[in-house]
Amino acid sequence: MRLNDALKWGLLVWMAVVIWAAFQWAPSAVGFQGESARIVFFHVPTAWVATLAFLVSCVASILYLWRRDPMNDVRAASSAALGLLFALLATVTGSIFARIMWGSYWNWDPRETSITFLLLIYAAYFALRAAVADPERRATLAAVYAILAFVTVPFLVFVVPRIWWSLHPDTIINKQGTIKMDSRMFQVLMGSLIGFTGLFVWLYTIECRIERIRQRRQQELL
Amino acid sequence: MNDLMGITLVTLIIWVGLFAYVYRVDRKVRRLED
Repeated sequence: MRLNDALKWGLLVWMAVVIWAAFQWAPSAVGFQGESARIVFFHVPTAWVATLAFLVSCVASILYLWRRDPMNDVRAASSAALGLLFALLATVTGSIFARIMWGSYWNWDPRETSITFLLLIYAAYFALRAAVADPERRATLAAVYAILAFVTVPFLVFVVPRIWWSLHPDTIINKQGTIKMDSRMFQVLMGSLIGFTGLFVWLYTIECRIERIRQRRQQELL
Repeated sequence: MNDLMGITLVTLIIWVGLFAYVYRVDRKVRRLED
């Protein structure tokens, strides 16, 4: 078995253990409705992967503008697409938590509002890509936009929700710089973060490979 | 079977299904690359 395959099967087992531990091994959190706090094991990793994906997209965009290698444009677009997908998943899991805790799926809380802006910013990235026909011009404009879009990410993800009062529970690493979480819950969360990062890397490489095949076929046709 | 065990099983089924789908796509891409 190749190392690549072993890693994939390892991810299957790893995430299965994380899922089991999230619901069966981690204790119930105090101060939350029922078992709603267990969503943290999926909500935080999806938000983390979204941020990571937007960072990768920004780095690939910088590399595109520097070296003009079309593969960097492919990397930027693939990563932004996955970022958007994981940001949507973070929004959905957050909404489920909001429904249980606060009685409504959507409350226009600062964190909900900031993620809406983030989703719109990256949706506009794909609208921009779809609007420009010339590949070189599209790649350049998209790269500039992706860099500017990423500038907003630290503000929308980390700053804005901390400036205003929010319904959102205190984050794992809070204002006091301490981790307020049961050690078993923390271990499961770390395991989930590793698993979701692995899943992102796998999906990202598949997307890039598909795009490379598509480009090779287009060149063969010309 | 309690609610939490049911949620565990459903989540595990979703994960295995997702993995199987992505693995299939991965193999298909590999065949196209060769």
